[in-house]
Amino acid sequence: MSQTKQNQHTRRDFLKATGLTTVALGFPTIIPSSALGNDEKPAPSNRIVMGGIGLGNMGSGDMSNFLNNPLVQYVGVCEVRGNVRNERKNQVDGKYGNKDCKAYVDFREMLAREDIDAVHIATPDHWHGIQIIEACRAGKDVFCQKPETRTLREGQLVVEAARRYGRVVSGGSQRVLEDYRKIVNPCWSGELGPIKAINVEMGTISKACNLPAENCPADMDWEMWLGPAPWAPYNHSRCDGNFSCEGGSWRSYSDYSGGNMTDWGAHHIGGATFAVDVRELQPTEVILTVEGDKRWLAFKYPNGVELTLNKPGKSQHQVDGTPGEKREPKKIPEYAAKGGIGADFLECIKTRAKPFRDIELAVNTVTVCHLGIIAYTLGRSLKWDAAKQQFIGDDEANRFIDRARREPWQL
Amino acid sequence: MTENLAKALEALKTYDWGTDPNLLMPIDDAIVATHTDAAARKELESGLIAVLKTEVPQAAKDAVCRALRTIGTAAAVPALAPLLADEKLSHMARYALERIPGPEAGQALRDALPKVPAKLKIGMISSLGVRGEAAALAALTPLLADSDPGVAAAAAHAVGDIASQDAAKALLMAKPAAGTMAAIADASLNCAEHLLAAGNKNAAKITYEKVLASTPSKVVKDAATRGLQACTK
Repeated sequence: MSQTKQNQHTRRDFLKATGLTTVALGFPTIIPSSALGNDEKPAPSNRIVMGGIGLGNMGSGDMSNFLNNPLVQYVGVCEVRGNVRNERKNQVDGKYGNKDCKAYVDFREMLAREDIDAVHIATPDHWHGIQIIEACRAGKDVFCQKPETRTLREGQLVVEAARRYGRVVSGGSQRVLEDYRKIVNPCWSGELGPIKAINVEMGTISKACNLPAENCPADMDWEMWLGPAPWAPYNHSRCDGNFSCEGGSWRSYSDYSGGNMTDWGAHHIGGATFAVDVRELQPTEVILTVEGDKRWLAFKYPNGVELTLNKPGKSQHQVDGTPGEKREPKKIPEYAAKGGIGADFLECIKTRAKPFRDIELAVNTVTVCHLGIIAYTLGRSLKWDAAKQQFIGDDEANRFIDRARREPWQL
Repeated sequence: MTENLAKALEALKTYDWGTDPNLLMPIDDAIVATHTDAAARKELESGLIAVLKTEVPQAAKDAVCRALRTIGTAAAVPALAPLLADEKLSHMARYALERIPGPEAGQALRDALPKVPAKLKIGMISSLGVRGEAAALAALTPLLADSDPGVAAAAAHAVGDIASQDAAKALLMAKPAAGTMAAIADASLNCAEHLLAAGNKNAAKITYEKVLASTPSKVVKDAATRGLQACTK
C-alpha cells in the first residue's frame, strides 16, 4: 500500500476537529421539503418522502414501520426479487389507494429521485457500505439495518460520507436500547461502580460457500443480488434471507456476512458497549486465547474496560464492576421520539440531530465484530490503531481491512 | 508440506461449484500455521501459484486467489496478472492483487488498465484507488474524461482516494461529462479533506471553491461550504 493510505488517520482526526462529525454542521436546521415538526398527521406533500432498498425479512418489517408512520410518504420499493418487489409495491399502493409507488431493481435509479428525502436499507450485508455511501452522495438520510458494514474500511468510509454530506444516518439495531435495560441501568446509574469488564456470548463466524448451481428464478436479478461480492452461481440457500447463520442463508457465508459475529454481534456487542459506556470508542487490542478446543476473545479499550467474547465461566452480559466504589451516575441516552428506532430516525431527520444509533456508534460496534472475525481467522491476537484504522505490526491482518469489489462496484 | 495440505492442493484440480469446501480447509489451516515459518509459507504460496498456472475450474482459481489475498507476495503477481483480462477471473485476481503489498501488484494493475474492456477497467481503476497508487495518477487522469461514464466516475473516485496535491490538481483540471460531475465533486471533497488533514489549507480551499462554483447540487454545495468553513479554523 502507498504512503497515502498510511495517512488516513489524519483525515479521521480532521473530521472530528473541524466539526464535520456533527450532523447539524453549523448550518441552520435543514428541514426537508416534506417534513413537519408537529404531532398531527401532515399532508402528503409535507411528509418525509421515503423509499426502501432490500425488502425481504428485515426490510419488510422496516417498510411496514415507516409506511405506517404518519410522518412518512412512501414512494418507492427496490428489490431484486420480482415477486417480493411486486408484493411490496402492492402493499404501498394498497395503503394509499393508488398505483403511485414506483418499483426498482437498481437502487441507483431510486437514489436519483430528487423528491426522496430518506431511504431505509435492508439488503444483505455485503451491499450496505456501497448503498449507504451512494445514498449520502445523493443527499438522502439513511436508516440501515445492522450490521452496517462488511469490512473495516467500509466503516470508515460510511462515517466520512455521512459527515461530508451532513446526512442523518442511523444504524439498525433496536435491541441496543430496548433489550438490555437490566444491565444498562445499573451500569449507568453507578450502582455497579467503575466497570472493569463485560462478557458477551456469541455463536459462530461465517464460512466459505461453495453451493452447486441451480436454475435462477426468472424474476430474480442474480447479478444485482451478488453486486460487489465474488461471482458465484445461483443457489437458493446462498441467498435465502432466513435468520440462520449455520448454513442455508446468506448470513452463513463470508462473502455476504460475518455470521453470528456480525448478525447478533451488532445487537449483543452493541448492547454491551452501550452498557459499559465504550460505544464511542474502538478497542486497541483483541487477545485470542486458546484453551483446549475452546477459543475466546478479549477486546481491550483505551480506558481500561475489557469486553470478552465467550469467556469460559462468564454468562451473557455479565459485568465485572466494583460495587461500593463511587461512580457518578450518567443520564441514559434515549430515542428522540416515541415509537422505537425508526421514529428516532424520523425525528432526527427533522431536527438534524444525531440519532440514537448514529452511524459512527454503529460502526464502532461492527468494528469489534470485524476485529474478532479477523483474529479468529488468523488465529492470533491483534493490536488495532483506531485513529489510523490499521493493525499495528501485522501486515497480513491489514490485508483484511477491505476486500476488492466485483466490477463495476466500488466505494 | 503436510499430507493434508498436499491433499487440499490436489483437490483443487477438480474443485468446482458444489464441491465440499471443507476439502480446502487445510489451506486455511496452513495459512495460520505458517505465519511465522517463512519456508513453509513460501512452499504454500508456490503450491497455490502452481495451481493458478494449470487448467482447473473457476471455483478452484477463486479459492486460490482468496488464499493469495492473505499470503501472496510479489512472487504471485506474475501468475495473477494474466487473469486480470479474463472476464470470469478478473475480479478474483484483483481480490488478491489489491491486498498484496509492494510495487509489483500495483504495476500489474496499471499494465492491465489499457488492455481490458470498460467493465473490467473499472475494477482495475478501483483497485488502484484503494491501494492509493500515486504512480497510477498519470494513467488515471485522462480517464476522468472517458466517454464511458462508469470508467470516468471510477477514475474520479480513484484519484480522490490517491488524495495527493497532484490528485487534487487533476480533479480541478478535469473537464468531465455531465454524468461524471457528481463523482468528480465527491472525489474533490475527499481530496480536500485529505489535504486539510495534512495541513494544506490553501490547496484544500482552492478545491472547495472549485466544487462550490461548479456543482449544481445543493447537497454538494453545502458540503463544500462546510469544507471552506473548516479551512478557516
